[in-house]
Amino acid sequence: MERLKNSMELDNLRKSILEGRDTTKVIVTICGGTGCSAWGSEAVREAFIGEIKKRGLEGKVEIKKTGCHGFCERGPVVVILPQEIFYQQMVPDDVSEVITETIINNNIIGRLLYSDPITGRKCIYDYEVPFYKKQMRIVLGDNGRIDPTDISDYIARDGYKALEKVLGQMSPDEVIETVENSGLRGRGGAGFPTGKKWRFTKQASNNEKYIICNADEGDPGAFMDRSVLEGNPHSVIEGMIIAAYAIGAKVGYIYVRAEYPLAVNHLRIAISEATGLGLLGKNILNSGFDFEIRIKEGAGAFVCGEETGLIASIEGRRGMPRSRPPFPANSGLDGKPTNINNVETFANIRSIILKGAEWYSNLGTQGSKGTKIFSLTGRINNTGLVEVPMGATLREIIFDIGGGIPKGRKFKAVQMGGPSGGCIPARYLDLPIDYESLKAVGSMMGSGGMIVMDENTCMVDLARFFLNFTQSESCGKCTPCRLGTKQMLEILTRITKGEGREGDIEMLLKIAMVVKDTALCGLGQTCPNPVLSTINNFRNEYEAHIIEKKCPAAVCDALVISPCQHTCPVGVDIPNYIAYIADGKYYEAVELIRERNPFPAICGRICHHPCELKCRRGELDEPLSIRALKRFVADWYFKHITDAPEPFPVTKDERVAIIGAGPAGLSCAYFLRKMGYRVTVFEALPVGGGMLGVAIPDFRLPKEILQKEIEYIVQRGVEIKYNTPLNINFTIDDLRKEGYSAIFIAAGSQKSQEIGIPGEVDGLEGLYYGLRFLRDIKIGKTVKIGKRVAAIGGGNTAMDVARTALRLGAHEVNVFYRRTREEMPVTQLEYKEALEEGVNFNFLVSPTRIVSKDWRVKGLECIRMTLGEVDESGRRRPISIEGSEFFIEADTVIPSVGQAPDLSFLPPDSKFERARWGALEVDKNTLSTNIPVIFAGGDFVTGPTNIIEAIAAGKRGSIAINKYLQGDTSRVEIRDEKKEILHKFSGQDAEEIEFKPRLKVPVIPPEERKKGFDEIEIGFSEEKAKEEAKRCLRCDMER
Amino acid sequence: MEKIDINKLEEILSEFKDENWPVIPVLQRVQEEFGYIPKETIEPISKALNLFPSQIQGVATFYAQFYLSPKGRNLIRVCRGTACHVRGGRTILKLVKKYTNIEEGETTEDLKFSLETVACLGACALSPVIMVNKTYFGKMNPRRVELVLKQCK
Repeated sequence: MERLKNSMELDNLRKSILEGRDTTKVIVTICGGTGCSAWGSEAVREAFIGEIKKRGLEGKVEIKKTGCHGFCERGPVVVILPQEIFYQQMVPDDVSEVITETIINNNIIGRLLYSDPITGRKCIYDYEVPFYKKQMRIVLGDNGRIDPTDISDYIARDGYKALEKVLGQMSPDEVIETVENSGLRGRGGAGFPTGKKWRFTKQASNNEKYIICNADEGDPGAFMDRSVLEGNPHSVIEGMIIAAYAIGAKVGYIYVRAEYPLAVNHLRIAISEATGLGLLGKNILNSGFDFEIRIKEGAGAFVCGEETGLIASIEGRRGMPRSRPPFPANSGLDGKPTNINNVETFANIRSIILKGAEWYSNLGTQGSKGTKIFSLTGRINNTGLVEVPMGATLREIIFDIGGGIPKGRKFKAVQMGGPSGGCIPARYLDLPIDYESLKAVGSMMGSGGMIVMDENTCMVDLARFFLNFTQSESCGKCTPCRLGTKQMLEILTRITKGEGREGDIEMLLKIAMVVKDTALCGLGQTCPNPVLSTINNFRNEYEAHIIEKKCPAAVCDALVISPCQHTCPVGVDIPNYIAYIADGKYYEAVELIRERNPFPAICGRICHHPCELKCRRGELDEPLSIRALKRFVADWYFKHITDAPEPFPVTKDERVAIIGAGPAGLSCAYFLRKMGYRVTVFEALPVGGGMLGVAIPDFRLPKEILQKEIEYIVQRGVEIKYNTPLNINFTIDDLRKEGYSAIFIAAGSQKSQEIGIPGEVDGLEGLYYGLRFLRDIKIGKTVKIGKRVAAIGGGNTAMDVARTALRLGAHEVNVFYRRTREEMPVTQLEYKEALEEGVNFNFLVSPTRIVSKDWRVKGLECIRMTLGEVDESGRRRPISIEGSEFFIEADTVIPSVGQAPDLSFLPPDSKFERARWGALEVDKNTLSTNIPVIFAGGDFVTGPTNIIEAIAAGKRGSIAINKYLQGDTSRVEIRDEKKEILHKFSGQDAEEIEFKPRLKVPVIPPEERKKGFDEIEIGFSEEKAKEEAKRCLRCDMER
Repeated sequence: MEKIDINKLEEILSEFKDENWPVIPVLQRVQEEFGYIPKETIEPISKALNLFPSQIQGVATFYAQFYLSPKGRNLIRVCRGTACHVRGGRTILKLVKKYTNIEEGETTEDLKFSLETVACLGACALSPVIMVNKTYFGKMNPRRVELVLKQCK
């Protein structure tokens, strides 16, 4: 192409490019971005070229390699024009079929389309894909449509038209005014108004001025600049030329990371093409304006993203920032006035010029205009680049566009702004994002990296990670940054190693504030942000590391042997008992479990298995069925080991009394007995097990299983006195008089709570409370229920109530819950089983009145709810929708909304300190009450939780009581213990690991289940159990 | 240590005769040519650019990209960016170290591998990522680490 002499020639060129194009011609565009390339898009492209040649379709079908489409998760992405069919995750083997079916026969291949994971709908065009639907792609829009190495593609899509307009119709001041009025702010991070920056540089008195494009994208987790440079380099160049014209610069530099070879390459091609056409160089389009662009490759230093550091680096010096003022606008490169903008900022300019400042300023929020590109990465389903108007909420970006968190895990926080930013916890999900709002919550826009974290990310480790980064990237010029980062890193490192000390958090906060206030440049001033924001939002995690030596996310090496064991509230040595199972050593496996948990058969059935959520195998395919394996081995034990075990020997003089024979009480008793104490458990009811004995239905936990495990504990020497309630006639003081040296209260949380709505009258026929209802069934009472049952609540009790009601012959069972499935604290398995059996779930519905006639329940008045802002519990608050009231018939209503501890057996004048909500106040570490000999734990203290938490409380209580009785005043520390390492078993060497999902645990079919109370899970056979156990990766052996 | 071809250096220096601020580009070219910045080149460079040798040395040690000792044929860069970190990059690094038997910043004796960590490779969508020479390998897992490294000659 020839040099263009004026804007008319550019116009004509554009026209002739467009006219020369056959809009009906088939063009296969293949994404050549870094993401798709790593997925193998080049091989797909070659396959297309080869296949087209083979079939003689050359000239009829064109192949085009485009820039990044943003949906990197689904690469390689291929779009077929003119229909714009969007194929994803293509492999070379698909190519032949695409040519035959789609290109020749005009058929769409369903398999290659994106299918919406929620609706299952196939999307033919990109704009139908949820990932793109909510985006507004002003900067990224052309990325997937043009060949970045061919300037005519860019020109055809109105490229350099903004330049034409600026040179032909606008004075430099008008350009600056337009940019000012648009409200565009720097996309590099700090958000300084771009127009203002241009004006400063223009006003600076010097004839020689420079433009710099900062393409030193160094923020870990941000790659939008790379994508723009690789996919649409001319948009950046055009922005730079316009800026140069506005401020009067003749030379521009692009400082680009050396780690981006493709970007450098595309920029070089673009610059040479633009120069060839006379869009760069002397007398551009006959305007008398000269401008040239040079590329400077960085050499790998994060601090060079700071403008004065960057200038030093261009000048060939060590990239160390200097203090400002003077700002680069007055004294920058070579001491001349210099305007530095980020890649994305420049890429926005052409749209502002073409569509006007007003159009642009209508997008976004009050203080932040236009769109922003975010790179969405981390624990998210749809990783990629997302461009949305400022003011979009995190929820929209992470859940609607990003598709939420994989593997059913929970969103924990999102880190924005890279090492300079902060993490934003779940309660701010509905925050509209702009520069100011992010600052207000302790984060920052930064370059737009958005790293999503789920419950398996440790926030202390994250802070340490960032400090490690900033500490090594600190240029060392100023003391606060050089030493402050080092000190903070040292403290964080020792916390993650379990060597944290009291006062460490305060010390971190102190150093962080000093560094923030006194460091020389942006790197130093912002590097404490990750520390500050993680402490502010996740202080409990720091405390868990420092005080309890626990890493709640099971990440920190020094504390964690294996994530499953660490996550188990009682710390069962899971990898080793699984290894025993794989080896067929079942007796040893059970004994190993019992070192930490005396209820293997029960937990093998009803534990909510937090261990499985953290299982490393889950990262590869699916987590191990840890719970079902435990059940298998416990059942094996009771089937094969019929001899009663010997009682533990009594080695100590003191006696301990336990109130309540639930899982907490019995565990405490078991472990104390094991330590050599004589223990007596006082139980008010004729049966043991607490909630296990009176609430959990037989179809989940058969009575015999509970009996066997209690029997085992008795055989080991624990005495249980049934039908012995504490009351006015038999008090805690009486126990002390009887000679018990310590008392552990674990009386459970068994008082049903009322909902507190009109019509909820005691004695109404057809009104039961969940716990009472379950207990009556469990002890064999006849309970009369109607045909239409309504269970109210979203927890385990409500679930058990609904499923029990079905088994009692109810025709229709409705569960009403005021929130959604997501907030329900029941496992997916339980929920699925209930659905299969025919329970109807009514989410976002809250009953407002129980309607009755002649003392008989007739139905429920309800109102529909919607979820509002996130409350302190991290869940979204349900809000009723006016006018959505409705009535539903029901002859039986069973509220199951919660239980509270019943403290009525304690004399009202007792000196116990009470917590705010009425339960006993205890020390979290030792479970001791304010009365020295008395300890309390389990649901009685915490309110209803899970069985494994209750066992953990019992275990903790036993350790604390032992320490107390031995006069040891140190804290209770329950660390993971490492047993001897068992040998590896086959299938565990890296090269042999194959994709192999977990084995299904067999269950009785739903129709059969509903007929009675038989246990629905059948459990693994020996052969299946061994097979499943061998899936374990033995990550504990790495430590 | 093998002798370096000083004529090559002369050629490179003449390429940048007219360049503004040539230090970094010269060092980049020198490294491209020799695979690292040989000690013997520092003085000739400083002479040609009219700078002190300490200034050249200062730049060469400041930037992570420049190496002062020879590198292996296969430069493995393990991304330690946040996105990779969150998706298990640390374990990948551990596995690479185990396979190559070297630590970060080291080179194997047979000059087959050099191992480096990078703050972010900017391919976060593929995390965890490693880069061998100029090729990216995404979505790494224990098996892929071995497969990728096995291919290296």
